[in-house]
Amino acid sequence: MAYETVKVDTPLVLRILPVASVVAFFGIWQGVVDFGIVPNTMLASPTQVAVLFWEKLFVADPDGAVLSVHAWVSIQEAFTGFFLSLLVGIPLGLMMGWFNVAEGLARPIFELIRPIPPVAWIPLTIFWFGIGIPGKVFIIWLSGIVPCVINSYVGVRMTSPTLIQMARTYGATDWEIFKKICIPSALPMVFGAMTISQAYCWTTLVGAEYLAADQGLGYLITMGRRLASPPMVVLGMICVGLTGVAIGIVIERLEKKLLAGIRR
Amino acid sequence: MTTPATTTATSSIANEIQKQVSEKRPFSLSRFLKDRRFLYCVSLTAFFGIWKYIDYTQVLGNGIAAPDAVVAQIWKLANKTIAGKSLWGHIWASTYRIIIGFSIAAVIAVPLGVIMALNRYVNAIVKPVFDLIKPMPPFAWISCAILWFGIDEPSKIFIIVVGTFVPCLLNAYMGIRLIEPQLYDVIRMLGGNRKDEILQVGFPAAFPAIFAGLQISLSCAWTCVLSAELVSARSGLGFIIIQGMQLSRPAMVLAGMVVLAFVAWATTLLITGLEKKLCPWKREAVQM
Repeated sequence: MAYETVKVDTPLVLRILPVASVVAFFGIWQGVVDFGIVPNTMLASPTQVAVLFWEKLFVADPDGAVLSVHAWVSIQEAFTGFFLSLLVGIPLGLMMGWFNVAEGLARPIFELIRPIPPVAWIPLTIFWFGIGIPGKVFIIWLSGIVPCVINSYVGVRMTSPTLIQMARTYGATDWEIFKKICIPSALPMVFGAMTISQAYCWTTLVGAEYLAADQGLGYLITMGRRLASPPMVVLGMICVGLTGVAIGIVIERLEKKLLAGIRR
Repeated sequence: MTTPATTTATSSIANEIQKQVSEKRPFSLSRFLKDRRFLYCVSLTAFFGIWKYIDYTQVLGNGIAAPDAVVAQIWKLANKTIAGKSLWGHIWASTYRIIIGFSIAAVIAVPLGVIMALNRYVNAIVKPVFDLIKPMPPFAWISCAILWFGIDEPSKIFIIVVGTFVPCLLNAYMGIRLIEPQLYDVIRMLGGNRKDEILQVGFPAAFPAIFAGLQISLSCAWTCVLSAELVSARSGLGFIIIQGMQLSRPAMVLAGMVVLAFVAWATTLLITGLEKKLCPWKREAVQM
């Protein structure tokens, strides 16, 4: 056999330490609350959060919806904004990377809007769309579109000049080069954009839901603060975190599937 | 020195090409229309024109202010005080929060990330807890921050620290982890010990990544300070924006946004310049 599998033993300590550290984390958290080092009005213990989680699966009070409804509303908003930003951002970025005219026209406006954090748009969105779903989708869309445009642009720009020159030599038109060479070679960057933009969208979601929502995970957090109920705040945060991770994993899987044949 | 031989050499192909390039191209309308500077002008004119037109026709009702109204508003803000502070005072209030929060985060996160990447025992302890905290968006911490620190300065700084901590640490960690193993091989072959490996290879090679992390977290910091100020504040640029919203004066909201964009852009420019000074060995990538 040409290759032998070399087994690298991780020492037992290294396998135990991560588990121990997580256990210690929750233990200290629980202890800090139980022994009153941090007052109960400021922080909820893990067990309280777990109990509330179980309750919230079935009981709609006091914030008007069960957990699954909150999560579903958030996912809907985030994904609408996310897909719209992919739909606009990726073609725009690709065109800006290849066509001079597209870049000349779109770039200045993009550069003007880019440095403004998406959260800053919230007041204007309220003026424009009121406080419904469209406003939230707009904010999420804004936050998702920036990485899409940048990555697609950079992806096209990074196309190997040799390939382009080769195509020119064989008499390909600009459009053909763009379609057959630039887009495929930009694909890995474009999928990278999907991952980044999804993370941005999910981050902004909580901010968007700050703008007068009545359902959604962000609303759960805000409501927890208004009711001065730490377990609800922590529960909301954990749900946002977990759902974000889950979506991230799904997108990563998808990316691996779709990009299976493309060399990076 | 010009000799007859070189002057007659102009008939060679190389010289011919050079001559062609240096020749001024005749004016052509299509090239003028495709010139980048011209397109930039067109685009900006169209942008402000449409903005003005939307305001003029009142498509969005009172939800927008014309560009000139925004400029006038900025001028007005610069000259009078809101809530006891001039525009400069508000800019400084936001910047001050960022400086403190960002420094605290950077001072803790960067060394922690480096140590995590170098020592697998530290990594085994810190990484799982960090992975638990990582996915929570900074905005989600606002409620916690208010419960813990009230609505004063510390809660805002806390949010900035939380928001900037993650990219700082991640980039420092990945920066060290992704160093090419060949570089380590070289320093080992030259007889370096562990200390040399870290000081001669680890830091210089990871520095661009660490710096990129600082850059990312600085732009995160602007988002964080803004969200904190939108929720509760008596000073800062977020306060101006939210004040404009409550008085339903879009000119003020837009003025706040424009000033914010400008300041955020200036800080980015500053840190990019700093990067060029501090680590000139960074490889140039395609940048937008």
